[in-house]
Amino acid sequence: MRYPLELHPTIAAWFAGKGWAPRQHQLDVLESWQAGASALLIAPTGAGKTLAGFLPTLTDLIETPHDGLHTLYISPLKALAVDVARNLTIPIGEMGLKMRVETRTGDTPAARRQRQRFDPPSILLTTPEQIALLLSHPDAVQLFGSLKRIVLDELHALVTSKRGELLSLAIARIAVLAPQMRITALSATVARPDLLREWIALPAPQAPAHLLKATGGAPPELSILDTEDRLPWAGHSAAWAVPALYETIKRHRTTLLFVNTRSQAEMLFQNLWAMNEDMLAIALHHGSLSVEQRRKVESAMVRGDLKAVVCTSTLDLGIDWGDVDLVVQVGAPKGSSRMLQRIGRANHRLDEPSKALLVPSNRFEVLECEAAVEAVAENHQDSEDPTTGGYDVLAQHVLGRACAGPFDADDLFAEVTRAWPYRELPRSQFDRILDFVATGGYALRAYERYARLRRTPEGLWRIANPQTAQQYRLNVGTIIEEPMVRIRLVRGRGFRKGATSGPISRGGRVLGEMEEYFFTTIVPGDTFMFGGEIVAFEGMHENEAFVSRAQATNPKIPSYMGGKFPLSTYLADRVRKMLATPEDWRALPDQVAGWLHLQRDFSVLPGRESLLVETFPRETHNYLVCYPFEGRLAHQTLGMLLTRRLERARARPLGFVASEYALAIWGLGDLSALIRTGRLSLDELFSEDMLGDDLEAWLDESALMKRTFRNCAIIAGLIERRHPGKEKTGRQITMSADLIYDVLYAHEPDHILIQATRRDAARGLLDIERLGECLKRIRKHIVHKPLDRISPLAVPVMLEIGKEPIFGEARESAMADAADELMREALGG
Amino acid sequence: MFIRFAGHSFEPLASGALYWRDENMLLVADLHLEKMSSFARRGQMLPPYDTGLTLRRLERDIIETGAATLVALGDSFHRDEGTASLQDMDRARLDGLMERCEWIWLSGNHDPAPHMLGGRCLAQFAHRGLVLRHEPQRAAEGLIAGHLHPAARVLMNGRSIRRGCFVHDSRLMVMPAYGVSTGNLNILSPAFMGLFAWSEIRVTMMGRDRLYTVSSKRLVGG
Repeated sequence: MRYPLELHPTIAAWFAGKGWAPRQHQLDVLESWQAGASALLIAPTGAGKTLAGFLPTLTDLIETPHDGLHTLYISPLKALAVDVARNLTIPIGEMGLKMRVETRTGDTPAARRQRQRFDPPSILLTTPEQIALLLSHPDAVQLFGSLKRIVLDELHALVTSKRGELLSLAIARIAVLAPQMRITALSATVARPDLLREWIALPAPQAPAHLLKATGGAPPELSILDTEDRLPWAGHSAAWAVPALYETIKRHRTTLLFVNTRSQAEMLFQNLWAMNEDMLAIALHHGSLSVEQRRKVESAMVRGDLKAVVCTSTLDLGIDWGDVDLVVQVGAPKGSSRMLQRIGRANHRLDEPSKALLVPSNRFEVLECEAAVEAVAENHQDSEDPTTGGYDVLAQHVLGRACAGPFDADDLFAEVTRAWPYRELPRSQFDRILDFVATGGYALRAYERYARLRRTPEGLWRIANPQTAQQYRLNVGTIIEEPMVRIRLVRGRGFRKGATSGPISRGGRVLGEMEEYFFTTIVPGDTFMFGGEIVAFEGMHENEAFVSRAQATNPKIPSYMGGKFPLSTYLADRVRKMLATPEDWRALPDQVAGWLHLQRDFSVLPGRESLLVETFPRETHNYLVCYPFEGRLAHQTLGMLLTRRLERARARPLGFVASEYALAIWGLGDLSALIRTGRLSLDELFSEDMLGDDLEAWLDESALMKRTFRNCAIIAGLIERRHPGKEKTGRQITMSADLIYDVLYAHEPDHILIQATRRDAARGLLDIERLGECLKRIRKHIVHKPLDRISPLAVPVMLEIGKEPIFGEARESAMADAADELMREALGG
Repeated sequence: MFIRFAGHSFEPLASGALYWRDENMLLVADLHLEKMSSFARRGQMLPPYDTGLTLRRLERDIIETGAATLVALGDSFHRDEGTASLQDMDRARLDGLMERCEWIWLSGNHDPAPHMLGGRCLAQFAHRGLVLRHEPQRAAEGLIAGHLHPAARVLMNGRSIRRGCFVHDSRLMVMPAYGVSTGNLNILSPAFMGLFAWSEIRVTMMGRDRLYTVSSKRLVGG
């Protein structure tokens, strides 16, 4: 045993006093630090990661007195920073050490934040946005010069977002200010730990970076809710499972119920309360509820007052709740890493297995749940890789760098390429981004006289005036909130059809917030679910939406926006394999296996490497249904592109609907006949070149591009989210962003921000990357099955018609229909 | 398509202009030229291309209709200073357009001051029994105005679309904003309240290449 020798006596005594022994991975982190290396520690929750991260700091501060900032702890959640500060202060006090530990978040009083800049604590716990702010001051050189360690928590969650990109740039900057600094990163298990190791190694290339793994941890116990009840074909409410879930909640101490969307959370919460005769303390937690309401739920949870919480990804990360003994995933698990992360929210003791229950809400999801159970049993990881650098984020960083003092472009370029997401950034792109920050980067040099950055006589770049720095600091960060409106409960005015905007009583209790976008899709009188009750939309005034209690038992608008996370490619592959392997169906519930048998007899089963395309007539239309299993976003993009091509092939498509698993297109043309007679070739229809011109043509008009552009433009500083003295409302930003996009795209489609938007859209809302992979995989492997009616496998996606938004030319034609109607009226029809 | 208004016949164009064939006159409202560049002085470098795009749109309409007179119904420039900040290229295009036809600039709340660009600068313009001016008002008879940037949203069979529109009753017509950088406002919002006699209101929406007269029953807020 070598470890007692390495621990400082004060710390060793503290461990002994507790009757604990340090864990091996905690000592490994210390050893890496003492060897002068950075380290990435991969450990499951409950493994004592906090102590592992800070053991080197405590040791170093005991052994060597240190002036100024010693260790910076950065977490994605401010609640986590505050919690870790608490967990750290206790052992420091017990060891009798004198060192200052402070947090710095958006909630920290301005006076303290000011003081922290010239009189910093030894250990500062904060978020990526605060680091960017601190770095934008000229005194960052002194503040960070003394820094010896950075501890990055939940790195796996940070690196897949723009926040991670911003953080990587900040770390590259700090590495220049403090060459002695070493990084310790803490992460959950990921698919490719090597990438994360490189991510932390690159900023300080002179130091090695070790990859450390915590061993142990009991494998989780995962099961699927068994049922004799009839499983629905489609839908996401999981209403069938509510009685069983209620009994399960009763049998456990505390249950966390995860769902994929806010509306599912609302629905499940309401259904559970409808049968809550025992008055169990069941709470609701999602991103639209007011902050106070969420804090209330969280503290009730910490006190152990709750029996269950229905929640969305808002509780994926966060502080430890020791009392949770069951995690339930309602609806598709989407990916095995995500599932493992959620399971990890139960039972934070390392040596006991965490318990989780999967509840599919429809038949397809049964397959996905089975695939997830197998993947979790094999501990297979399918987490996303770190993202590569967005130009919008870099633009923000360049401006921040200028706010801190004049810089040399060559130096900054070298520094930026030591941030992992930007390691392959070409110099020409960097120069364009610099030009964008200075004058907007337009080919028409219109704004030289308003430049935000100017060259000094020595050739350095500096900000043109102090207002620029002030504006930068108000707009820092990459988290863009969707424009939200407040929802107020008012007395109903008894909605009458045809009534226009009469006055509605204003005031009334605030229920929470919701995306403004949702209200552009509904009209007064529509009912929907919010805060666990059914409400009727009464009207809007400025940024408030008014609703009244509705009598309805079923909301008219399901407001199901689809899962935010697409089915991972890994799980999708497993699902296809399962479908193609009838021997494996024995594990499935009888009704699901029976359904697949029917499909095999009536049509064919989708192959693992091929794409099944079915065509059939139904009522007055002809349908094409295909089963790529690539997620809703990729299917929507595919649907948009296929309808364009079918239009050209004179198949007269009318619209389409996409689900997570399949895509259905309908139209007037007889698709089976077109294919049989060779007038339509499926290989050509699904050929990869649709990602060329057709995609370009479609992007011209795509609302999704505009929404993506808005985010890029805000992050890059083209549109401000806040002005000194006055807040812009989300609506104003949205309106102008659309217009700016149109003008810019029409005139300079190659502008750096349009490039940034394309990159984001390709991996985000349009999921073009994934669609491209899919088209490559199925090339020459398309199986066409003409049918005389709908197939069993097509039933779920066909049921989505009418519930999901329909795409295609339907919008312009709505106006034409309204005009036709008027014409008939005029003709007395 | 024609709009009959106050005893005259007008042809609305899908661009948002209104052509008065009997007078060979083209009407446009709310060009808001130089809107984007006006943000640059505050450090917001919006694309400097909106003026060029609006002028090209206008050039097409002038050439296609062969109009002899153009009336801009105010807010032609986003700010008075806009007349000075025009790029050389845009200035040249505007000069070319002013050579093609006679221009009448009506003043708006964004550009109250007269300028020296050419053409006549007026507060309002009376012609053939009609009055053309920037801001609409209820009391007038036969008034064509802009200012409000009207838009309509219709709902049909669960689908909805929102577009700029011409809106009129027997006494007042409000034209849509013509400039590429202009936003718009639903005609059901309070700013329009009391302006029109609701029972006789006519709404003509701008489609991609044509216009649609829609039933006011179909209008929804938002």
